[in-house]
Amino acid sequence: MDYRRIVKMVPAAKREKLSTKLMDLILKSKSADKMPSNLVRTLLHHWQQGPLTTEIGLSTLLEAAVILESEKTIEALKEMLQLPDVAEAIRAVG
Amino acid sequence: MVRFGIEFVPSEPYWKTVFYAIQAEKRGFDYLWITDHFNNRNVYVTLTAAALHTEKIKLGPGVTNPYLINPVITAQAVASLNEVATGRVILGIGAGDKTTLKSTGVEMHKPLTAVEESVEIVRRMMIEKSVTFKGNVFKTNNAKFFFKPTTEIPIYVGAQGPKMLTLAGRIGDGVLINAGHPKDVDYAVDRVKKGIQQAGKSLTDVDIAAYTSFSVHEDMKKAAQAAVPVVAYVVAGSPDVVLQRHGVNKEKAEKISGALKASKWGQAFGLVSSRMIEAFSVCGTPDMCIERITELLKSGISQFVIGSPIGPNVRKAIDLISDKIIPHFEK
Repeated sequence: MDYRRIVKMVPAAKREKLSTKLMDLILKSKSADKMPSNLVRTLLHHWQQGPLTTEIGLSTLLEAAVILESEKTIEALKEMLQLPDVAEAIRAVG
Repeated sequence: MVRFGIEFVPSEPYWKTVFYAIQAEKRGFDYLWITDHFNNRNVYVTLTAAALHTEKIKLGPGVTNPYLINPVITAQAVASLNEVATGRVILGIGAGDKTTLKSTGVEMHKPLTAVEESVEIVRRMMIEKSVTFKGNVFKTNNAKFFFKPTTEIPIYVGAQGPKMLTLAGRIGDGVLINAGHPKDVDYAVDRVKKGIQQAGKSLTDVDIAAYTSFSVHEDMKKAAQAAVPVVAYVVAGSPDVVLQRHGVNKEKAEKISGALKASKWGQAFGLVSSRMIEAFSVCGTPDMCIERITELLKSGISQFVIGSPIGPNVRKAIDLISDKIIPHFEK
């Protein structure tokens, strides 16, 4: 799935809120062992470089969140962030 | 000016701890301490991963013990870690906790001697070509590395009892005082100072840290709720003299201990009172935490370590500490 393409659908004004929500989803996830090691390295690299609100940072977070907490991610996109089209794009590909 | 450290228990997959470590560095913490218990992720694996993803923060085990990890292995581990994070490595070492040692069948034999000897062995391994040591607990025979450690590593001694505190002041480059209440920290710093005097050192030669159980949230109740499990363990492991100092009923502490041993978490946590939370943690809103840290600074500590649980949401708590607490002490 091309998460960068999906992240482009997120308005700039909502990126920080999305980043925060995704961080909490993955950090609180009980399925942390599902996280692929290459994605871990990418995530930690971008986190060290700066905030995870950039396109690449957000797409990494989104990929991780979908792997660990797919339903919660879709729900957060629809309900909390009011981004139903982004939620549908993830559901469609997933 | 007081420096801030943060402690993580590597109880979850390593990347979560490293995520928080990166955040802590970005948000102004000076020290990263990782606990060392065999039942969690390995401390040096976690530290190495953290070292690779950070640049400034000083980092080390907080604390390891010489019973499960022989001092020459500890020396090897920190010397190797120092190649990954040159000049940033610190070593916390203490006697360990009896419960963990008991579960591995290891006896805490002569803790004061064991800690003193292990500190000497680690120091000598860092600077001498080979080390022969004949102690009462540890012995080495021409032990040597096939590599040269790059720099000496500051050694912090973890301490709680009066004799260990004095020893820590005497032999440590730093001391990790396992307490967060002014009554306990005042008492501890006095003992540490005694040791510093015995060694003919000056107070500024030793970094005295209050290593606290900490929980912050804008809602005091949520902060307290998060602190309960950690406080239950602290109460269960506290000596009678400490319980008495805080007016905590010994029988109640024994009930908590019994419930924890029986894995009756609800029962154990239900017995934790607000008095216990106040005595054994730094807990509350940012302003309440600032007030407590201010009190602790009067004792003469130079580092404040924010330990578990940190807050109900660790990520948010780190931001809160960075935004509202650390700046107060930078003024």
